[in-house]
Amino acid sequence: MSGYDFHPLVKQLLDGDLTLADLPVELRAEGEEALRLLTAVDRRPVELPAVTQRVMQTLASRPAPAAPLPPVPAWKRVMQPREIRLRIRPWILAPALAIAAALMLWIWPATLATPKPPSLVTVRFVLVAPDAREVSLAGTFNQWDAHATPLVRTGSTGVWTATLTLPAGQHQYAFVVDGERWVPDPGAPAVDDGFGRRNSVLTL
Amino acid sequence: MLTLLALPLALLSQQQGIAQRLAGRVSPNVAALVEQLATAGAARGLPSDPLIQKAIEGGAKSIPDDRVAAAVRLVAMQLDIAAAALREGGPVSDTLAITAGAFALTAGLSASDITALARVGASAQALTVGLRVAGTLAALGVPSAEDIGLVSTTLRSGQPAESLLLLPAHVQSAVAKGSTPAAAAAGLSRAAAAQARQGPPPGHGEHPPHPTPPPHPTPPPHP
Repeated sequence: MSGYDFHPLVKQLLDGDLTLADLPVELRAEGEEALRLLTAVDRRPVELPAVTQRVMQTLASRPAPAAPLPPVPAWKRVMQPREIRLRIRPWILAPALAIAAALMLWIWPATLATPKPPSLVTVRFVLVAPDAREVSLAGTFNQWDAHATPLVRTGSTGVWTATLTLPAGQHQYAFVVDGERWVPDPGAPAVDDGFGRRNSVLTL
Repeated sequence: MLTLLALPLALLSQQQGIAQRLAGRVSPNVAALVEQLATAGAARGLPSDPLIQKAIEGGAKSIPDDRVAAAVRLVAMQLDIAAAALREGGPVSDTLAITAGAFALTAGLSASDITALARVGASAQALTVGLRVAGTLAALGVPSAEDIGLVSTTLRSGQPAESLLLLPAHVQSAVAKGSTPAAAAAGLSRAAAAQARQGPPPGHGEHPPHPTPPPHPTPPPHP
C-alpha cells in the first residue's frame, strides 16, 4: 500500500470511525477515492486447491504412456525368475552341512562305499544237453531273466555255449533248459538257493 | 531344514529304486516286504541288493510268495549276522564285505569263520575277495578249518588279493587228480605259508593286472 498514503482522517474513514460528512471539505475527494478503492477489492474467499488435488493435476498434465501393459498371468508371475537376496551367517551352515553329510553316509552307504567300477572279465559257459531244444543262462548278472542270455548249440554233440563279459565280483546263476528246467552248472561250485534248488557260483 | 528334507527324500528315493527294480517281477506283497526289510537294513548300514536279487530270483523261478518271503527274510538275517561277525573282527562296515560274508554263511561257513578272516587285518577289498573265495571253497567241499586256514594264510602272505581268486580252481584241479578237498586246501595253505616266509614274488606291485580267470572246467556228460 505504499502508493496510497492517505490522510489520518481518511484512514479513520476507511476504518469506519468517521463518515464522509465528518471529513473536512478539502479531504472529501481523497476520502471518496479511498472508499472507491476499498469497494473495488474482490472480497470473495480465496480457495486454495488441496495438496492431493494439486498432485493429481500435475500428474494429469503429464503425457500418458504409449500403451498400457498387458496383465501378466499368475503362472507366469510364478515362473518368472526373481532375484532373491539371502543373508546367512556362515557358521550356521556348518552344523547343517555336517548333519546332512552324516545322513547321506547313513542312508546311502552302498552308493558311497563303491570307489570305482569293477573290471570286466570274459567267461565262457558250457552245458552238455543233447536232448535240449533250447538252453539259456539266468543269474544275478541278468536279473535272473530266463530269456535274456540264450546259449548256442555247437555242433551235433549237444554242447551249448555262451560267452559273456561280466563285472569282477561274485555271481550266482543256473542254466534254464527248454524254458522250464533250472539246472546248476555241473562244472562249478554250487550253494543252496533258498528254494530247495542249487545255484552255481562264479567268483571273478 | 536341510536335514529334515534329506531324510524323507533319501528314504523315498531308496524305496522308489527298489519298487522300480521289483516291478513286474514279484508280487506286491513280496515287493512291500523287500522294501520294509531294505529300509530297516539300510538304517543299520546293510546292503539291500541281496534282498532284491533273492526276490527277483524267486519270481523268475515261479516260487510261491510265502517261500520267496522266507528266503528274503533268511538273506536279511544272514546280512545281519555277517555284519556283526565283521564288526567283531575289526571295524569293517563295507557293504560289499557284508554281502560276501552273507554268501559265506550260505555256503556253509559260520559267523566265527567270518570273524577269523576279519581279524587278519586285510584291506576291505582284500577281505571281500577273501570271504567270496572262502565261501566258494566251502561250496567245493573244503572243511571250514582248512578253508579259513588257506584264505587267512594267503591274505597274510602279502600276495595281491586277486591271487585268492585262483584258489578254487587249484582245489578243483587237485580234486580232479584224486585229492580230497581238505587235502588240496591244506597243501595250498602250506605252499602259501612257505611263500609268505620268502616274501611276495617279484613283479607283484600294488596294482597288478587282473589275473586270468580260472578256466571253466570241462563239462562232464549231462546227467
